[in-house]
Amino acid sequence: MTQKRYFDTPQIAAGFEAVRQSLPGVESDGFDGLRGDAMSKYLDSGLPGPKVEEWKYTNLNFLANENFDIATVSPQETEIKELFEKARVKGLSGPLLVFVNGHYYKPLSTSVDQKGIKLSLLSDNIQSFRDGMAVSDGDSSLNNLNRALVTDGYHLEIAPNVEMKQPMQVIHMATSGTDMTAMRHRVQIMAGTGAKAEIIESYIGADQERYWTHGVTDVMLEQGADVTIYQFQTQGRQAIHMTELHSHVADKARFSHISLQLGAEINRTELINSFTGENADIELRGAYLGRNKQSQDIFTRINHDQPNCQSNQLYRGVLDAGGKSAFQGKVIVARDAQKTNADQSNKNLLLSRKAEANAKPELLIYADDVKCSHGTTVGELDPDQLFYLRSRGMDEVTAKGLLVEAFVAEVFDGIADENLRTAFKEKTARWLAHEVTP
Amino acid sequence: MLEIKNLHVTVGGKEILKGLNLTINDGEVHAIMGPNGAGKSTLSYALCGKDGYEVTQGSITYNGKNLMDMDPNERAGEGLFLGFQYPVEIPGVSNMNFLRSALNSQRRYRGEDEIAAVDFLKLIRAKAAELDMDPEMLKRPVNVGFSGGEKKRNEMVQMAVLDPSLAVLDETDSGLDIDALKIVATGINRLRSPDKSILMITHYQRLLDYVVPDYVHILAAGQIVKTGGKELALELEEKGYMGLGITESAA
Repeated sequence: MTQKRYFDTPQIAAGFEAVRQSLPGVESDGFDGLRGDAMSKYLDSGLPGPKVEEWKYTNLNFLANENFDIATVSPQETEIKELFEKARVKGLSGPLLVFVNGHYYKPLSTSVDQKGIKLSLLSDNIQSFRDGMAVSDGDSSLNNLNRALVTDGYHLEIAPNVEMKQPMQVIHMATSGTDMTAMRHRVQIMAGTGAKAEIIESYIGADQERYWTHGVTDVMLEQGADVTIYQFQTQGRQAIHMTELHSHVADKARFSHISLQLGAEINRTELINSFTGENADIELRGAYLGRNKQSQDIFTRINHDQPNCQSNQLYRGVLDAGGKSAFQGKVIVARDAQKTNADQSNKNLLLSRKAEANAKPELLIYADDVKCSHGTTVGELDPDQLFYLRSRGMDEVTAKGLLVEAFVAEVFDGIADENLRTAFKEKTARWLAHEVTP
Repeated sequence: MLEIKNLHVTVGGKEILKGLNLTINDGEVHAIMGPNGAGKSTLSYALCGKDGYEVTQGSITYNGKNLMDMDPNERAGEGLFLGFQYPVEIPGVSNMNFLRSALNSQRRYRGEDEIAAVDFLKLIRAKAAELDMDPEMLKRPVNVGFSGGEKKRNEMVQMAVLDPSLAVLDETDSGLDIDALKIVATGINRLRSPDKSILMITHYQRLLDYVVPDYVHILAAGQIVKTGGKELALELEEKGYMGLGITESAA
């Protein structure tokens, strides 16, 4: 089995047949058929093994033996409330959407009442979801697994020239009792011509449970649309966190994704982005922090298929004892994509000799009139800076904390909303101070 | 009171200080002069506890406490301040944030409450104004893009805010034009008081025109070879080390 590039997981097939009748949309032929097809595709390919180049840094072999059931809601209101308060970005008044153990949780969610913005749940509106799923182009085996077993998620449509007044906060949480369960969600965001929206996505969960969060997001931006996703990944310490995002960015549109990854034991975050029009922008920024068996694997791709587009990637990694990371950033500039401007910067800071940071920038350029750059570093804290701070009275932990915060600050400094910027910085600081749940 | 007895310090396996003795009482200002390679910077780093400056013999006590057992931040908490010859740039950390963190760390060390945000703001603005620092510079990252003079001025603002009881100034005057030198001198003179001690390490006599020391020592080849009053600096200026019978390999 270990010789195979992709490996089989027969227990997942059996599990699927067992729960199939209880999954949302079973009464709708089309949806159930879609799930069945996706499962067949998944089973045909299997899960990527460590010999698959893109999965070199995250070994999924454990999934061949471990069985993750579909999670069910166990409504322990106090715990839900507690996790909700920890995850919620304070000081914002926009709509809230809460998912507990993979299912919509109404008591803490609020509705969107703004003309031109339509929000529907997968569990409520199979029709719109099925249509959305049909345009989703991700065809990886994990994407198909998600299609087959997804339990909930949301579909957001912003009508042309409508600007969402306040960012929408979406919280995905896993409570206690979710050990060895999987929660799969799907998100579709459709921004019409000139539409504008900001979404804050937070992941949080119980530290003592080994649960598997698996999400797929598709974002479609029409001409001149502007969508930003802010992501806080503060999952429980034993969690498996996998997300896959696909964006399609049309003429003069702008897509941004800004993330902080500091939770989970195994994190695999994929951001696959494509330009479908000219003069468009894609910006990906993120900080990932890891220690104590944590593995943060960030995989980005930008397909420059159109001329006159810009992409900018800025990632900062901080790894302490026992932490491991990978940043794999691929930029593909097609032959006709002249005047492409693509920058990529990835810097990593090792706080211990027992930490590991991997960086793999890849630029494939087939056009001849482009400006592309990439820079990667892996280094340690500067001892002169550390001594300077300590000579002024800061103990080692405080001094290191200040330097590390400064190192990752670049990722978040450009965020205009102060509440949001503060939330990113505070969660980073709490991780650095070894607080239990940042 | 600072007491240094028979101090031997090794850097990278090489002995630089070879039995240095120095006592500084409260309220005194001392100047240490000496040729290149005499061990001036080694003395300041050893006092502040920089890694790699190994004390192999002797003792350093401050107000009766053994400094050598303490981390650099603990020494700062005890009231020690090092003015750097080359202040370090800290990108991404504002002067304000840096100083607040430093001051509160020292207060925590001494068992005092942290300073209230409003009081801190008042304090830092007042000290910056006393030393003619543009308040905008407080928001800028520590020393990043500062000129040589601005960096030294920043050292003086830090010293004024942290209000140490013993300041060790390592060639704080080097590379400064006359205006910057006057700012530095103002910073030092403002600190001067009966319960504080100052040790200036310098190459040149000209700083001593503005900050008049009580004692001048000449350090050569790892030991203090001559001690006198402020006139010793003038004599040195006139005759040079050779004229005083001091060579770099002397002692």
